[in-house]
Amino acid sequence: MPTHISLRDGVFGLAEDPFTTVSDDWAIPQGDVIVSLTRFDSEGDRLLAEGRKVGVRLEAGEDVEALTYDLPRISVVALVFPKFGDGRAYSYARLLRDRYGFKGEIRAVGDVLREQAGFMVRCGFDTFEPADGSTPEVWAQAAQRFRHVYQRGSDVRTPAFAERQP
Amino acid sequence: MRALTANRLIDGEVVFWKAGEWVERFADADLFEAGDPRAEAAEAHGKNQPTVVVEPYLIDLIESEGLWAPVSYRERIRALGPSNLPHGKQTEGGAAIAALLHAHGGARSKGRVDLIKRK
Amino acid sequence: MYQYDAIDRDMLADRSAEFRGQVARRLAGELNEDQFKPLRLRNGLYLQLHAYMLRIAVPYGSLNPAQLRKLAWIARTYDKGYGHFTTRTNLQLHWIKLRDAPDIMDHLASVDMHAIQTSGNCVRNVSADPYAGATSEEVDDPRVWAEAIRQWSTVHPEFSYLPRKFKIAVTAAPKDRTAAKTHDIGLNLKRARDGALGFEVMVGGGLGRSPYIAPTIRQFLPASRLFSYLEAILRVYNRHGRRDNIHKARIKVLVATLGRDEFAHQVEAEWEKIGAAVDLPDDELARIRGAFTPNSFETLPPRSEALEAARAATPAFARFARNNLKPHKVPGYGIVEISLKAIGETPGDATSEQMEVVADLAERFGQNDIRVTHEQNLVLPHVKLDDVPTVWAALAEAGLATPNMNLVSDIIACPGLDYCALANARAISIAQNIAKTFADPDRAEKVGELKVKISGCINACGHHHVGHIGILGVDKKGEEFYQLTLGGSAAEDAAVGQALGPALPHDKVAEAVDTLVDVYLRERQDGERFLDTFRRTGVTPFKEAVYADAH
Repeated sequence: MPTHISLRDGVFGLAEDPFTTVSDDWAIPQGDVIVSLTRFDSEGDRLLAEGRKVGVRLEAGEDVEALTYDLPRISVVALVFPKFGDGRAYSYARLLRDRYGFKGEIRAVGDVLREQAGFMVRCGFDTFEPADGSTPEVWAQAAQRFRHVYQRGSDVRTPAFAERQP
Repeated sequence: MRALTANRLIDGEVVFWKAGEWVERFADADLFEAGDPRAEAAEAHGKNQPTVVVEPYLIDLIESEGLWAPVSYRERIRALGPSNLPHGKQTEGGAAIAALLHAHGGARSKGRVDLIKRK
Repeated sequence: MYQYDAIDRDMLADRSAEFRGQVARRLAGELNEDQFKPLRLRNGLYLQLHAYMLRIAVPYGSLNPAQLRKLAWIARTYDKGYGHFTTRTNLQLHWIKLRDAPDIMDHLASVDMHAIQTSGNCVRNVSADPYAGATSEEVDDPRVWAEAIRQWSTVHPEFSYLPRKFKIAVTAAPKDRTAAKTHDIGLNLKRARDGALGFEVMVGGGLGRSPYIAPTIRQFLPASRLFSYLEAILRVYNRHGRRDNIHKARIKVLVATLGRDEFAHQVEAEWEKIGAAVDLPDDELARIRGAFTPNSFETLPPRSEALEAARAATPAFARFARNNLKPHKVPGYGIVEISLKAIGETPGDATSEQMEVVADLAERFGQNDIRVTHEQNLVLPHVKLDDVPTVWAALAEAGLATPNMNLVSDIIACPGLDYCALANARAISIAQNIAKTFADPDRAEKVGELKVKISGCINACGHHHVGHIGILGVDKKGEEFYQLTLGGSAAEDAAVGQALGPALPHDKVAEAVDTLVDVYLRERQDGERFLDTFRRTGVTPFKEAVYADAH
């Protein structure tokens, strides 16, 4: 089974990935799957009825709002970084966590490098598929690079203005 | 005629290819006749040195006062230093620098522009 | 000056350590240039024609003497003994070595300075009125808000990978000294009739390939709601700004495409959903306000006998006072403008020695306060009028007393093809030629306010679109040519200039500006600035004069 980096209870570790990411022209295999938004729209009800866990892969540019109705039934939202510098998925993650109350897994896939780790964690991502071979130790170090943060994010960190309270 | 140029990684210095080494003076650069395959071979070698230089590229030269100078104004500024302050390689003076200063016109270099535009 | 606390210092230390690691990985070959470039850019490090260039942030253009001395020392130690102040009020060093860059970051951090986010597709250095805290025109101190925005935008989790760079300006006076309407967001502090503080919010200005003057999307935003509103604007932009074409990726294109009303509607809708929970708590804003060192002003008569005596005795000083001394909110004090536009020199450049002279003067006579303007000059915002003659003498000795503020030789110019890898043509030499053409200070004063702005390429770092006379360098078959525009303005009456005609060769530009000025002097009616005359007459008389030879 392939592995990825997973953040659980504040600890980064290597975890096995029970999900198979299925592209639109594949047949759906057995077990838990991550499918595109299009495929989820057409086959999501059937897949869920089969009792398996289902995740949705959201491309940059697709509307996160399209998922809001189904969020309670979805186990994973995989947000795609088509390029290192494409930051749309940060906004999607924050909306999923803060506005739509998504409690499942938010996974970073695509051009995912350790330099983004801190931003991702702060926006509510908790699973990472690094493209640069980062180990959980390297990822944890990168994510915790800054001892303080200036803003409130979707994570548990205390922003500087709150730290400064006497 | 052509020469191979790059910026050195560690300090950004403008450098030119000479017999397998990178040198700082344009006057020392190896000159390649048009069609000489050693030019592309040197460029390929340079591109395989990512911890030595940044993005080497070939530049076209024209004759100036019996010597060679880059065709493009941009490349002449690289070989000389800025025109507003004597802070570059122009301080060395001599015939090679004079030839660069007096060279004229021509097409501009695309090498650096391509590097910058590349995503 | 805002005084850093331990948290602010830890941020710089952590950033510096991260950068040191990235440089080490690059030198060791663990990162290639494509991977390293966006990382170094986020720390202000470019690779230009001759060397690396480091762009050091000067947040809202505010410096204290220790910081300016450190910049002078860094320029002397790691560069060639000078620096270039930019239209973003930053300082650029043009001869930096990659191997020295991590050490330089540590030296900057030792005086609470950095180069964070001075490049890259993120929120850049926030600018503010250089007269903040010194002008009686302002309704509040814009630096307080600019500092709060600086902190909020530093390593922002959601808005650090925007479609394109993002620039914010804060001003609090009717006279705009920040070019607010050419920014991605321009914030103009205002007071409502009941005294409540708020912002006029302008979004979608910008220069570059397609220039836009920012429309106002909200006339009055309660000041306490600033950060939720910024979040709404940035989120709409981050989601919907174009990422497929670098030339259409700025927020100005999104605003222009959607139209102001629809863009404003989307922002307001997002803002409503965000709510007030993400706004900065009032007590943090009060803390930031309190962390600015208070000024102590003496009670002085509004008229200084020493100043008047020096005016009467020394014509050169009188000229300086006429052009470079501006009114202060406190009687007996003045704002002293220091021109970095000495005739024939490089606009915006200062040597290490000059920086040290300014630092000393700020310490002795200027309440430890120095400002950088977007027009590439320096300001001592709080000088006793009695001390102005002494300050002038020291400035003059250092070559810093050019009495040309807002005159034709007070030119904005980007570094152009002499340094910049993006440029198509030189900008500095054009500025030098124009300044020399108007070297006679009597004539320059007779011409009056005239803003000349020069860019070496369409990216418009020299703000040419909004120059009263704008000059853009282009490349015509390898030769440097220049397109002139007239009638632009970066101030509260912001406008994009209008093309004059075909591009001119390098050696004809100063001559053309001379001709334009002659037309203005011929056409002007009482009290008109160049810009006013142009707006009245239109381009025709100017065009006819410049291209007369061609007919």
